[in-house]
Amino acid sequence: MSLLGRFDIVYMPILMDHKYFDSSGGSREIHIPKARLGLISGGVRNEQQLRIAEKMRRQCDAIWAFGTCAAYGGIPAMMNIFEDKDLFRRYYRTAEGTDAAPDPSQVIPPFLERTFALDEKIAVDFILAGCPPHHDFIALALESILEGKSPEAPLVSVCDSCPAKREGKGSAQRIRRFVENARYQPDKPIAEMRCLLDQGILCMGPVTLAGCAGMNGGPPRCIEARVPCRGCYGPVRKDGNQIMDILNALVSNGIDTKNLADKLSLLRFSGAHGRLTKRCVQKAE
Amino acid sequence: MPDIHPGFEPRILAFTCNWCSYAAADLAGTARIQYPANLRIIRVMCSGMVHPNLVLQAFEGGADGVLMMGCHPGECYYQDGNQKAKVRSVAIEEVLSIMGIEPERFRLVWCSSAEAESFACLVREIDEVLRAIGPSMYRKDASKHSKSELVQCL
Amino acid sequence: MRQTVAGSASASAREIIIEPVTRIEGHARIGIRLDESGGVAEARVHIMSMRGFEKFIEGRAAEEVPGIVTRICGICPWQHHLASNKAVDGCVGAEVPPAGRLLRELTQVLAHISDKVLHFFFLAGPDFFVDSQQCSAGNIMTIAAQAPELAKRVFAMRYRGQMMLEKFAGRAIHPDAIVPGGFSKPMSRLERDQLHADALDQLEFARFALDFAKEHVFSQFDAGLMQLGDISTGFLGMVNPEDGGLELSDGILRLMRPDGSFHEFSGREYTDFIAEHVEPWSYAKFPYARGWGEGFSMQLDDPRGIYRTNCLARINVADFIPTPLAQAELLEFRSLFGRPAQSTMLYHWARLIELLYACEKVVELLEDPAITGQQVRSDVVPKAGRGVGCVEAPRGTLIHDYSTDEEGFITRANLIVGTTHNLAPINMSVNRVARDLIKNGEVTGEALNRIEMAVRAYDP
Repeated sequence: MSLLGRFDIVYMPILMDHKYFDSSGGSREIHIPKARLGLISGGVRNEQQLRIAEKMRRQCDAIWAFGTCAAYGGIPAMMNIFEDKDLFRRYYRTAEGTDAAPDPSQVIPPFLERTFALDEKIAVDFILAGCPPHHDFIALALESILEGKSPEAPLVSVCDSCPAKREGKGSAQRIRRFVENARYQPDKPIAEMRCLLDQGILCMGPVTLAGCAGMNGGPPRCIEARVPCRGCYGPVRKDGNQIMDILNALVSNGIDTKNLADKLSLLRFSGAHGRLTKRCVQKAE
Repeated sequence: MPDIHPGFEPRILAFTCNWCSYAAADLAGTARIQYPANLRIIRVMCSGMVHPNLVLQAFEGGADGVLMMGCHPGECYYQDGNQKAKVRSVAIEEVLSIMGIEPERFRLVWCSSAEAESFACLVREIDEVLRAIGPSMYRKDASKHSKSELVQCL
Repeated sequence: MRQTVAGSASASAREIIIEPVTRIEGHARIGIRLDESGGVAEARVHIMSMRGFEKFIEGRAAEEVPGIVTRICGICPWQHHLASNKAVDGCVGAEVPPAGRLLRELTQVLAHISDKVLHFFFLAGPDFFVDSQQCSAGNIMTIAAQAPELAKRVFAMRYRGQMMLEKFAGRAIHPDAIVPGGFSKPMSRLERDQLHADALDQLEFARFALDFAKEHVFSQFDAGLMQLGDISTGFLGMVNPEDGGLELSDGILRLMRPDGSFHEFSGREYTDFIAEHVEPWSYAKFPYARGWGEGFSMQLDDPRGIYRTNCLARINVADFIPTPLAQAELLEFRSLFGRPAQSTMLYHWARLIELLYACEKVVELLEDPAITGQQVRSDVVPKAGRGVGCVEAPRGTLIHDYSTDEEGFITRANLIVGTTHNLAPINMSVNRVARDLIKNGEVTGEALNRIEMAVRAYDP
């Protein structure tokens, strides 16, 4: 809170009242005040979101992509493998209990051809990835700019902060679906739990940016719950491909990936930038 | 063979290892063995250092076909670099198939330094295959164009 | 802080747009069209976006879906997480061990607490704590400046709730500790003791919140506020199948008519009672009570099939609240307002009664010795099937309906999320307020804020 006090927040719809349009209905131009820094969360999916992003870019000296959706597309970019017309047909006509009707089209903004990450549409100065981003890194980035420095994000993978025991490569031969819990002693700390990948459970830790545990030395959050990482901070490097990287890591360790279930969902957080497309093949025959 | 995609010149990128396949390409050149000019070669020290991401990036950057070329098994200058390449190519093929990229667009090939003729033959063959299947839709701006429009762009 | 609000628009203004509706969690735009006399011809709440979860989870491995659908909502991810897991359990025929069931309920109810604190103090609160004439200054930062002790306590309580979840379940936001077949890890006695101490603190805060609200907020509920957005609707909520008591996790659904009569049905039967209507001006659909056989209409003078969810609905449909402090509050509430209570502003009161219930329930769950049981997950074998998972999210009844193929991949899904049940009532409330407060083309900032207040009461 004390950090927030050093900023003058001029626009924040979730907490403050500020409207796009003059309420008397005159102008249709979106009003957003000028600012030194603009944080935008969410990907760009429809025309209104695009206009707002462009307006923010014009009004703000610096723009940060806030969160994995803005940075990499996030979960909503999973829609990129489907056609919107199939979505609309399902949602407005064939869904159970829905009174079939044509697609809505009045007033509401049309969809763009797919879900975009923010930097596919406007220039982005810094990426604060995370689903959600950890407050330690938000604070760190804000402090950096107060000191006149460029913010930085760590460039290490989740494994870097994971205390689980690694007993060398090549111990797992195949990956099993996460339909039974990991093996560990419940009363012992995580440091005595065998690495999930070693146990044959697919964990996206090696190909995911670190940060979910903040800066206080805690374990990655999902590992804390004894479930595998699914990559919600996006790739380690900005242009990393999470599915390619994890498959590469697995095959390099002698693990058979042919029978890995649901490979497509390994890109669930980073499906923008053309990675998930309508040409993607759902399931191998 | 009829021109299914008239005007389309496939862009082929080959990662060739310095000791074997690049030498073969070089030899093909000095021996004036013809192979399609639309091949671009990137020389790497070993096929084992071609990160799969580089292959994907090649497709994103506009390659219609990508070759990964290394020494024959047992002949790798660095012992087992080509084995690593082989293992990685499995992952690459899987990802390409998930992405909906036709399997013909990527190939791992062993080629020794003396095999200039084989090298040229391979490139000619890939070129023909690509001409038949058309431009890759995976390039960054592909979603904006249909295949025929894409050909006109080239 | 700047605000663009019309002072007094001219009589020739034909359309008023309030966008974005602020201090809510969705993306909405209110469009009000005036007629020649400057009165309201039409008011609509447009939901401006849609992401398509029920489409893009098709083809996914069923056990991966509960970790994906949490992203439907950043405030109520635990409810989506639980409903999704229950749907997957239904598809594969999994039975959850007792300790697993208790842990699922505990985490889900804990999440309710955080949301209610957030909503009352951060989102809706500024409308009440700050003079409505200065509506432009209303936000949590102002409260923090004007009442720092209260603000500190509120922040601490919100943070505490999140920390309780994080310490035990790894993540508070977008969890993955609930898994098909149960829970991902057992609770140790030490963890339980720590959480129990925290839970007692929360309970004390909930009692304070209700006392505070009665003194400073509900006392402001004059006739004007009580009739704000006044509509008469049915109500949908979950109850305990055995005794009709309030239930948030494992119950049956009760759909009540405005006159107090009701039907009950299980999750799997939802399409017999609830249908969804499409309007061309909103991406979201409008659920309505098909089971009443009267069709659907949002006309203020002839509403049909309209029901509400969320806390006011839940305390209306429940026969009683099974925890003592909250039950006492409910009795007082009912003595004042009857059953079912219709006034939209009473959502805020009901929310704090539910907050009290949730805090008491958490203590009760933590005191159940079975919660530290070691067996928390039963084996899951992917197979073909159908499952419907229902829970009460803070915003309303949540339904996840999935089918799987023989390999346990999702073949189709249908979701009805909590808020959407309230979309038709929100439209009606907005229409009511707009028509009451906008006349002769005069649009004041206060009128616009009141319109938004009607929306905020539903916590959409």
